[in-house]
Amino acid sequence: MTPLLELRGLTRSYGSLTAVDQVDLAITRGERHALIGPNGAGKSTLFATVAGTLRASGGSILLNGQDVTALPEAERARRGMVRTYQHSSLFLDCSVLDNVALAVQRVHRVAHRCDRAARRFRRTEAEARRHLDSVGLSGRTRDKAAALSHGERRQLEVAMVLAAEPALVMFDEPTAGMSAAETERFVALLERLPEELTVLVVEHDLDVVFRLARRVTVLHLGRVLASGPPQEIRADEEVRRAYLGAARTEDLFTEAGGPG
Amino acid sequence: MTTYLVSVLNGLAMGSLLFAIALGLSLVFGMMDVLNLAHGAVYLVGAYVAVALVGDGAGVAPFVLSVLAAAVAGALLGGLLATLTRATPHHLDQALLTLGVALVVAEVLSAAFGNDVHSIAAPAPVGGGVTVLGETYPVYRLLVIGFGAVLAVAVYVLVERSPLGSLIRATVADRAMVAALGVNTGRVLVGVFAAGAALAAVGGVLAGPILGAQPGLDEKVLLLALVVVVIGGLGSVRGALLGAVLIGQVQALGTALLPEYAPFLVFAAMALVLLLRPAGLLPARSAVHA
Amino acid sequence: MLDGTTPAVEPLRTGTADGADRPGRRRAVVTVAVVALLAATPLFLGPYPVTAMTRMLAFAVLVLGVDLLTGVTGLPSLGQAAYFGVGAYTAVLIGIHLTPDAMVQALGGLVMGLVAAAVTGWVAVRARGIVFLMLTLAIGESVHQLAGTWSTVGGSNGLAGMPPISLFGGPPLTAAGFVYWWVLAVAVLVFAGVALVVRSPYGRTLRGIRDNEARMRALGYRPALARYGVFCLAGAVAGAGGALWAQQARFVSPGDMGFEVAALALLSVVVGGPGSLWGPCLGAALVLLVRDNLSPSIGGHGPLVLGTVFIAVVLLAPRGLAGLTGARILAAARRRKENPS
Repeated sequence: MTPLLELRGLTRSYGSLTAVDQVDLAITRGERHALIGPNGAGKSTLFATVAGTLRASGGSILLNGQDVTALPEAERARRGMVRTYQHSSLFLDCSVLDNVALAVQRVHRVAHRCDRAARRFRRTEAEARRHLDSVGLSGRTRDKAAALSHGERRQLEVAMVLAAEPALVMFDEPTAGMSAAETERFVALLERLPEELTVLVVEHDLDVVFRLARRVTVLHLGRVLASGPPQEIRADEEVRRAYLGAARTEDLFTEAGGPG
Repeated sequence: MTTYLVSVLNGLAMGSLLFAIALGLSLVFGMMDVLNLAHGAVYLVGAYVAVALVGDGAGVAPFVLSVLAAAVAGALLGGLLATLTRATPHHLDQALLTLGVALVVAEVLSAAFGNDVHSIAAPAPVGGGVTVLGETYPVYRLLVIGFGAVLAVAVYVLVERSPLGSLIRATVADRAMVAALGVNTGRVLVGVFAAGAALAAVGGVLAGPILGAQPGLDEKVLLLALVVVVIGGLGSVRGALLGAVLIGQVQALGTALLPEYAPFLVFAAMALVLLLRPAGLLPARSAVHA
Repeated sequence: MLDGTTPAVEPLRTGTADGADRPGRRRAVVTVAVVALLAATPLFLGPYPVTAMTRMLAFAVLVLGVDLLTGVTGLPSLGQAAYFGVGAYTAVLIGIHLTPDAMVQALGGLVMGLVAAAVTGWVAVRARGIVFLMLTLAIGESVHQLAGTWSTVGGSNGLAGMPPISLFGGPPLTAAGFVYWWVLAVAVLVFAGVALVVRSPYGRTLRGIRDNEARMRALGYRPALARYGVFCLAGAVAGAGGALWAQQARFVSPGDMGFEVAALALLSVVVGGPGSLWGPCLGAALVLLVRDNLSPSIGGHGPLVLGTVFIAVVLLAPRGLAGLTGARILAAARRRKENPS
């Protein structure tokens, strides 16, 4: 079976610095895949390159067997590859409902209709509400997104992403900056995601990673150090040395949030 | 052939003036992201200073005096604009502020000088013509071309070769980084703002014998300066020079061949450049910032 | 209807709770009352104030177009006066050469405004923020100066001698009151049209672009296309406004589309509160009141007052007099700065 997402020798460099170096990766349909690695390993760069926010310097990205390397971000999103951002990226001056409806109306191909009020597109509105229900925000549809708490904003992001009807969802450090309780609620939400959805998550919190992921890829200095099931990764000597052994330093820098 | 020569010379004279005017607009935008919509009004202040001090009486002393007075007035206005715009942190607010100043200055000028068209005489010693390839050409315009060339060299040396210049270029490239290095950019910014406005006002005096002074001229000059900046690349000195020379030629050729459609030609030139090079011909930064 | 950026009554609640329906009904009542009051104006005001109000209505239509760009989509524009002028010239030319029919003229102005915006707009919509402002200004000034030099449209003298408008082949409408009613009818129509766009899915798309363009791309949108669309739409609105303006004045000159007109239209939006529709319309009335009607009593220095108002609004009440909505474009610009990814 063709993997849903396949990276072949993907490379991204900034001048002489190669942040992502010849990365090969295959993610099958329905897989829960985590991407981890110490700060500066190139996680965020890899993530942005796959999503299309950054251009690849070399190699190729295949979605469903089709080469999408040359496509802009919007086109990749239309083909089912939808990302979130490390810092919540919402439409803060729009209502919570509008945030999700923006994703739904694009899928329903009514985003440029201006002949009727938005609320008359009942299928779009109902769909948006369903997604808000599913993340537990149905009580706040009329509030502005700016009025939401940090945790609620993350929930709203999930609703937006799901509303875009993706085949592959990519979460960029979703639990960064969350309290323990918020993290717990958020992970529970991710665990409830539909089975057929493929998830790629970049995450610092290793407890979250080992709870969610069926496969883990470790990135170190822009290269893939190891890739496999969580227990295998835990046991891997090289990974321990490069990454888990450095956990102390890692903790120090978790809040700095630079280009992971 | 000779008509073209005259047109080319006219274009060079116009280009020299445009360079002097657009330079401040470009650097202020490049360094601070401030779009100074009062730039045309500052130019008009210079033109009216010349009307007040030179008028029709043509001597060298009053002309030089009005250049100096315009420089001082321009620098003061520029300083005021810099202070005003620094009082509000948002770029749209800043542009609106300068727009307000532009309306006020234009209104004060028309209250003081009326709505008539004023002409300004070139200083007597250079008021005549000289024969260039069998065609009589005003000496004054040749001097303006010379002024443009000297200004271009001086600015090049200042911006590309001096420590102050490297600070200016660094600020255009990455303001946050320069500030993070602990350099107090505030005084440099105000200085550049004032110097750019002074140059625009001096441009108003020097352009006086060619364009005169009248209400509405501020808009025309602002438009040409904007187009020069957009074509050349925001914040780029070399770009401003190239853009000014290009637009000077387009203006002169347009006026000589298709006087009715000259404004359209200027717009077409801008559209063409933006189509081929969205960031301008010689951009200072790799990308155009919003 | 009052504020285009809040979704009005939500469908799931409409039938169930009366309480949720009430604000919508109150808005409808207010809207009808305002329109009725405006319609009754010629019955108890003399021809001079009625003419002044006709001009305010036409100018308000231009301001609606500017607001669509500046307030709703977050693209501050100084170029809309050009399309306003194109609409005005079109109406006058149709009036002189073709027909006095007011509908044909208004439609012609609208279509030509749309065409002019479509031809020139692609240059501007590739930019955002201050660069967009700069490019629209350059476009607007180019068109303005072209009108001043092009002899076919009268050059700097403009075009005079437009016959009075008529409707449905009837007699010429010379009385100020009739012209006012016609302009009011079109202005209300345009207002309703813009309000519909703002509340439609497309309006939502535009607000999404204003708030966070990068996120729109990540959701699969092509923002440049939507921006071009709204630019053309705003050009059509401005063209219709220009036609109304010319139908009242029966004369057009390059001064009707100059820098000052563009600046005052933007000022109206900023004063009124970008994004809301009523605010900028009130702002338009206020700005014209100062420029045209208060000016004689303050020694003809209306622009001086308006320039000062500009400076004062930005320094003292940067969020617009009509409320807090003005914060939006600025907040959006700020976020773009902080979060350029």
